[in-house]
Amino acid sequence: MKTPNAFAQFRILLANGIKSELSDLERLISPLLFALTILILFAFAVGEVEPDMRIKLFVAEVFLTTFLALQISFSRVFEPARTDKVFDLLRTYPVSYNAWFLAKYVLVVMLGLSVALPTIFIGAIMNGKALANVSIWGIIPVTVLAVAGLSALGVLLAAITMKAQSRQILYPLLYFPMTAPVLLSAIQVSVTYLEKGIFNSDSKAWFLLLASFDVIYVTLGVLLFSELVDDSQ
Amino acid sequence: MLKIRELTFGFRSRRLFEKISVELRPGELVHIAGPNGAGKSTFMSIIAGILAPQKGTIEFFPGAEAGTPVDDRRKYLEYLPAEANGMYTKMSAVENLKFWSNLRGRDVSGRVIFEALEVWGLNHPVIRDQLAIDKFSTGMKRRLALARLQLSGVPCWLLDEPIYGLDTKGLEAFHNILKSHLNAKGMCLVVSHDLKPLEGLPTQTLDLATGRISK
Repeated sequence: MKTPNAFAQFRILLANGIKSELSDLERLISPLLFALTILILFAFAVGEVEPDMRIKLFVAEVFLTTFLALQISFSRVFEPARTDKVFDLLRTYPVSYNAWFLAKYVLVVMLGLSVALPTIFIGAIMNGKALANVSIWGIIPVTVLAVAGLSALGVLLAAITMKAQSRQILYPLLYFPMTAPVLLSAIQVSVTYLEKGIFNSDSKAWFLLLASFDVIYVTLGVLLFSELVDDSQ
Repeated sequence: MLKIRELTFGFRSRRLFEKISVELRPGELVHIAGPNGAGKSTFMSIIAGILAPQKGTIEFFPGAEAGTPVDDRRKYLEYLPAEANGMYTKMSAVENLKFWSNLRGRDVSGRVIFEALEVWGLNHPVIRDQLAIDKFSTGMKRRLALARLQLSGVPCWLLDEPIYGLDTKGLEAFHNILKSHLNAKGMCLVVSHDLKPLEGLPTQTLDLATGRISK
């Protein structure tokens, strides 16, 4: 019996994941609406502040909003597979677990960016005065790296808690402390960049730390996913 | 050939079945029998690769006799779970069948999918392309799962209550595809409380409680 190689399986699983997300638009729209609501609430509650403080607030609200909005996406990572025993059936197919993890991971990164990038742009418009002298394009790669790290953790922890009875409690308990290094380094790089207008040596160190955590979490995901999903051994 | 040797499983102190051995050769059908709670579905889940046995081995050999077992038996088995159909409920019938077939490495054309759907009375443009699976009736969902089974092209079928929700025509179609599968040297393990669709087929019965096989 000829089965597709891992790359072909990755493409099939990713394409199906995208189709599945698009077939239920509520899943895409609700994190975005949530992000917009938070941004508006922030702007309304804080009102006028000094430009320096405005930069810090911008970074805080962008990453806080993205982080919380991503929670909605992550908690639903395996939702389409949870119904009708699709998850179980996938495990009975000759599927490469690396292909499965990476397809889920790329899908979640795409979903994460679809929330994070609009949040940055809308946040930048709302904080226009303070950000007038600096290009916000510099924080795009930082955001991409932050989403990449958070997504790897999100998929991994969603798989851990997929079969756990206490998933509602277990997920935040594991996820929040593990995301701290990613979030802190992303915020540090962004604030330094927006204040100085360039990436200095300090921000480069934080940037490297952020990238390192991405590599660690993606590697962990690839290595652990099969152990978490496969009960047949 | 599927060879199951001394399979044992239980939950905590409750032993479900013990030292079950059975061999399934091309063209053979084995009906797994036992009262409610005997572990029939668990037995099927273990063979399918969802659960690990506590003891025993499961091997699949490419031919009719034991030799070198295959490295991954999942390539040769198609599993139909009880009370579920393994379908993405927000997607259409054609999208689901294409996905599962592609994952098996079968690049099925639209015509092949339509033919399989025709067998199960689901080959209407609205039903196959536009309706999400969660709008299907129980019987229609089961028919679609059986269409996937038919398209899988694998030699060994594991069917757990396959006729749940099927009407008379569906039962007839099920009997016919099972017969064709066995005639084409396919194998099948079935759990079913209704034995009517198996009538006329070369069926052996495995009693899970005693481990005995009868014809």
